[in-house]
Amino acid sequence: MTNESGIESVLWDDWHVVAELARLEHAGRFETMLLGVPVTLEMDRASGRVGARSDGADIASVAVKYGFVWICLGRPARAIVEFDECLEPERLTATGGSVRVAVSGLRAVENFLDLGHLAFVHAGYLGEEPHTEIAPYAVDARPGGGIIATGCRVYQPKPSPVDSHGFDVDYVYAVLRPYIVVLYKANPVEKTRQDMIALLVQPVSEESCVAHILTCYLPHEIHPPTVRRFQQFIFGQDRPILENQLPKRLPLDPRAEISVRADGSSAAYRRWLGASGVRFGAIPASDAAAP
Amino acid sequence: MNRWYPVARSEELVPRHIAQTQLLGQEIALWRDDAGAVNAWENRCPHRGVRLSIGSNTGTDLRCRYHGFRFAAGSGRCNFIPAHPSQKPAGSMHAVVYAAVERYRYVCVSLDPRTDEPELPMPGNAAATSLRSIFVEAPAAAVVDQLSRGYRIDAATEAVLTGEDHFTLTAAAGSGERAQVVLFLLQPVTQTQTVIHALLCPAAAAADRLAVLRHHNAQMTMLRDAVERSCAAAKRRA
Repeated sequence: MTNESGIESVLWDDWHVVAELARLEHAGRFETMLLGVPVTLEMDRASGRVGARSDGADIASVAVKYGFVWICLGRPARAIVEFDECLEPERLTATGGSVRVAVSGLRAVENFLDLGHLAFVHAGYLGEEPHTEIAPYAVDARPGGGIIATGCRVYQPKPSPVDSHGFDVDYVYAVLRPYIVVLYKANPVEKTRQDMIALLVQPVSEESCVAHILTCYLPHEIHPPTVRRFQQFIFGQDRPILENQLPKRLPLDPRAEISVRADGSSAAYRRWLGASGVRFGAIPASDAAAP
Repeated sequence: MNRWYPVARSEELVPRHIAQTQLLGQEIALWRDDAGAVNAWENRCPHRGVRLSIGSNTGTDLRCRYHGFRFAAGSGRCNFIPAHPSQKPAGSMHAVVYAAVERYRYVCVSLDPRTDEPELPMPGNAAATSLRSIFVEAPAAAVVDQLSRGYRIDAATEAVLTGEDHFTLTAAAGSGERAQVVLFLLQPVTQTQTVIHALLCPAAAAADRLAVLRHHNAQMTMLRDAVERSCAAAKRRA
């Protein structure tokens, strides 16, 4: 289903992050782009009110949540995604930075879900040879849409900003919206509870995005600067890989790129995007089949 | 598709290196295995599309930077998937392999792997001097067009130009012991970009080598500038 913008409603009528609030507070005014539409953000310093305009007209749906500015260019068909962990007062909710990447945001989401790259792209931190084998894990549809991967386990030499020794880390991944993905990983101190890291991807154009990082850690020796330094270091390792993917849009045809068993979550994500009618940032399977 | 083009100089493919080039808009990863053979593959991992040229050359395999998949020299077949180390990779998991040979210290590639061995027009078996390879922001046809107008083979001599085909030209001058030939081999990088590879036969004498290289460097620089000027002018008129 599309509208006057030509962009599918599943994206047009949803909320997307367009800036980290702290950045707008600092700049006062901020130019960005969402779904190919130029957007100007402004903050009234006296009242702290945030406004957004596009092409001279005010954007009606603007909100501030989890330290980010969110907008919806169409008519919001649903609320901003909920992260219940951020409501637990003892936890530290911190932004992990915003990184511009010259690739489709769907590729960035898929990379976030990916287990097999950890030992190579994040060697010495989130994985390490010879611990490269990916054990089977479960992938299911989420009741509210999206997918969830459970029972993921990887050996990690330095799983978090404060760890100095490695261990087997249990993960759960969930794709909540086409451009929003979250992971829960066992906390190194309270191993039965989980830290949360979300990637809120701003689809700038079909072939570029800004990846905004939101973290919600249990309060064990963790501080916002440490979180940001670690997250930006890790994402800095992913970025050159993402920017070397060809094509830049994510192909949804399963024949376009060959998957292995470890890619269960990636394959399910691509199928779900296709079934949801997501086209922006994707190469739909029907296009790939055409001569 | 079914023909050979020069894409690099042999000495660019040093051991354990992966070079990147482009032919007819197709990105190619070029690498030499430890047995000395040249591999020319589509610059894209079949698994998740990452450029193979940012991976590593192990001497027998090319290892993808993203997930460590290994692809065997020669066949391009995946022979190891680190996520499933005890499993034999599916036959469909392979790099797209192009035909590659070396001639006159140039790497020549055909995008069609069934292409017959190349026959390049070389006068005799004399040793040649590789001249500068020069990048031109113009289609190959425009380069051929400009070259056909003349080329000074040395300070005093205009060469006679013969087009072998749309991508190969020879410039000849003199006869007998004084005969000189420059062979121009064009690499159509994209529809609007070309690399001119060129070699001089017979090879320049050691004492003259620097002066000869400088002469051809200056000639080819003028050639490039002229082609780019006329293409820019044609674009303004359009």
